[in-house]
Amino acid sequence: MRKILAMLLAAGMLCGTLAGCGSGDGGDNGGSSADTSGGGADSSGGSGSGTSITLIMSQRDEFLSELESAAIGAANDLGVQLTTQDANSDTSKMLQYIETAKNAGEKAIIINMVDPETAAQCVESAGDMKVVFVNRYPSDPSVLNENAVYVGSDEMTSGKFQGEFLSEYFKSQGKTEISYILLNGIIGQTSTTNRTLSVMKALEDGGITATEASAPLACDYDRATAMDMISPLVDTVSYDCIISNNDAMALGAIEAMKSKGIDPTAIPIVGIDASTDGRESIKNGELMMSVYQNPFGQGEGALRAALNLIDGKPINDGTSYETDETGNIVWIPFEPVTIDNVADYD
Amino acid sequence: MNKTFDKKRFLSQNSIWLVLIALIIVMGVAQPSFFTASNLLTLLSGEAVKGIMAFGVMFAILSKGIDLTIGASAGLVACITAALVQPSDYANAVLPGVGTLPAPVVFLIGLALGAGIGAIYGAIIAYTKIPAFIATLGGQLICRASAKIFTNRPVSNLSDSFRYPGNGRIAGIPVIIIVFFIMFAISAFLLTQTRFGKNVYAIGGNDQAARVAGINVEKNLILVYIWCSVCAAIAGMLLAGRAGSADPANSGLNYELDAIAAATVGGTSHTGGICRASGVLAGILILGVINNGLVMLKVDDNMTNIVKGLIIVGSVVLDMRKNARKA
Repeated sequence: MRKILAMLLAAGMLCGTLAGCGSGDGGDNGGSSADTSGGGADSSGGSGSGTSITLIMSQRDEFLSELESAAIGAANDLGVQLTTQDANSDTSKMLQYIETAKNAGEKAIIINMVDPETAAQCVESAGDMKVVFVNRYPSDPSVLNENAVYVGSDEMTSGKFQGEFLSEYFKSQGKTEISYILLNGIIGQTSTTNRTLSVMKALEDGGITATEASAPLACDYDRATAMDMISPLVDTVSYDCIISNNDAMALGAIEAMKSKGIDPTAIPIVGIDASTDGRESIKNGELMMSVYQNPFGQGEGALRAALNLIDGKPINDGTSYETDETGNIVWIPFEPVTIDNVADYD
Repeated sequence: MNKTFDKKRFLSQNSIWLVLIALIIVMGVAQPSFFTASNLLTLLSGEAVKGIMAFGVMFAILSKGIDLTIGASAGLVACITAALVQPSDYANAVLPGVGTLPAPVVFLIGLALGAGIGAIYGAIIAYTKIPAFIATLGGQLICRASAKIFTNRPVSNLSDSFRYPGNGRIAGIPVIIIVFFIMFAISAFLLTQTRFGKNVYAIGGNDQAARVAGINVEKNLILVYIWCSVCAAIAGMLLAGRAGSADPANSGLNYELDAIAAATVGGTSHTGGICRASGVLAGILILGVINNGLVMLKVDDNMTNIVKGLIIVGSVVLDMRKNARKA
């Protein structure tokens, strides 16, 4: 009998803990917003005051965490109760979060998709909720309409900035034929494909004949992976520049060169993201340029879009960003970053 | 007197259901929309995939083994089967020449693949006597890598008939939930009503004694891992159907840990020989109620994981004490 009592007691304590979590983190609808930064102020006055919205993150890497913080900040400013959930790269979990938000009676949901192929399923699971896709563009854009919109940056312009920069650089040196090492992100992801495609196209448009100095490299957007993959190449093949799908991999390449005693400032190395580490490297002169993808614009833009959808306003209402011709996509522009303007991004 | 004893025994054996009921009541009070029919269906369909894996892995744990391969093998089977049901004119098809095979054929291929994978590492465990942890860890790496070799991009645009078990509905009930309960019934039947089930209990309790009693330990162990792997294959195909896409890198990633957690919370003892299918069902539901309920209460997912961690450890502590007293 004592055993059973102990068991029930434990269960009771557990339930107490859970109930505590619930009320403490906004279980009642009028409560403060449950967010990761712990701010949770209801500074009302915005159009969406009191509205409850869920943001589903595919994962929490450095960039996406900044996006999440920006959305939370905007939610606090507008008095929106924003809950964020991390799907941990699990599509099934993502769908589960969507359905749960629907069942909880929320009117709109912001989704950073794990797998852009699942956009149609996301919309289906969302039922009557308005859907804002952020950062990862649906593989099948036909799901976008007045109830399901996209907020993000046009990946075809990120590589374009890299390509234009490199074209200028090599032309000023009187070179039109170059060889390059290209560090790809995660093969198959739209961002990887488009970043690579657009940099190649911009080089071609700039009158540069570029040939790849190595076999295609896939480094999963990861610094350590890039370092390992490029290490055997840096002192064995000849190349005029290193092009990377993001800053982390470019920094990995720089590390690999330095560890072999090669001066990374001798050739242009270009990345994308203008992350904190990336900007530091630009200041040191090692990373020659990067392209800023605006996590704050994406996070805030997505939240604004969700509120505007609920209110029936144009999705970019209250922001300085432009929509495409359908009115269902908000483009947050990329911006090239070099030593000349890097200080503006601190 | 006798009656009182039975009641105690019943309570002790089913205490996990009391915990589940208590949890459900707390969640329902804290967030009334938890109790809506559509939310309960959401909860069940979300746990179905991992739950089916738990019905598999509980046999492995019962036999004093473990199966860490199931998440990766589910992912591998999901990718391969999904590639067989893409439209033949689809530009991104993984196997362009194959076209769309009929869904029932593909399901059979998936089950056969699962059985084959399980038979391989089951045989390795049974005959080389290496720890199941090691054999299935190796299996996990090999299956995950094989999925990534098979395709380097998500496999999508799948035929409706293939997706039906994962995302279809019969009279408003998601088919995936029906499959889940069918799998529960089959597992419970295997465990309690067949010689195979009784043999696994015996092997888990004491494999030497089981051998002396004339049980073919090797054959039964191989069957255990075939069953695990078949459950994983079913889970993988449901996963692909539910999401409409199979992702070689992420489909089923770390699902084995959730399945093991559910089986463990459900009272399956890692020292072997103790397991109740109904307990595992309750374990799955407890984790499901926590996953779903805390999200509805707008609790941050990190806090959800802390609560889950406490429940997993706490339930084993309680079980160990309960079982120690019995012995």
